Amino acid sequence: MNLISGVDITSGALTAQKIRLDIVAQNIANAQTTRTPEGGPYQRKIISFENELVKRAGGASLETVNVASITNDKSPGQAVYNPQHPDAGPDGTVMMPNVNLAFEMVDLITASRAYEANLSVVKNARTLAMKALEIGK
Amino acid sequence: MSIIGSIPSSAFNTLSANPLEAVQKTKMAAPMPDGVRLAQPTESFGSMLDGLVTNVSGKQTQANAITQQVLLGENDQLHQSVIAMQEASVAFSLMVEVRNKLVESYQELMRMQV
Repeated sequence: MNLISGVDITSGALTAQKIRLDIVAQNIANAQTTRTPEGGPYQRKIISFENELVKRAGGASLETVNVASITNDKSPGQAVYNPQHPDAGPDGTVMMPNVNLAFEMVDLITASRAYEANLSVVKNARTLAMKALEIGK
Repeated sequence: MSIIGSIPSSAFNTLSANPLEAVQKTKMAAPMPDGVRLAQPTESFGSMLDGLVTNVSGKQTQANAITQQVLLGENDQLHQSVIAMQEASVAFSLMVEVRNKLVESYQELMRMQV
């Protein structure tokens, strides 16, 4: 029994957007990381979503969102000349991560707006349920 | 939420089930005129109400468990906790609404002219 309609769909979307926010946080936090366990500088992570069918009792089945994959951005980072850096190569250049702060901020805004949109769906669904309980008052 | 959550479901069960059972036992005593038949219920109203209360109590227990997980740091899905609490709240409101309707119809019967 699900009293607030479609809330499990929205819950999946909220989880997905939250993971996206986490990925943006990770990218921004590692914008200067030049050393990783795999070797080389940090590579920007990209998230992609997939839909998932949710079967509901006594209603049309709807599709929610799931995180499909978190992959590395393969584009090369900037090479900065800094011979004092411990990770500098023989020619004195350091490979920096391919994180672009402007891109990450745009991603951050998009993710937080999408989260807010899903929250308004939950809020609206709850208001509708409470309004339905007021029938006959 | 903790106040609602601390009420055991058995308290509701004893309240809801017993008076209704007593009503159902006494209602068949009067002889019925020909052609009038009482519909035989497949499920007693008391058990339906009992199921409703159990459902509401289950939702509250679930909301409690998720909130506790979030507070203990075992889970970072804050929205799931809040959504579970909202569901429990709506379910509780529905139960209160059903109870209000029952009391209302009982009082309507009591006001009947004899």
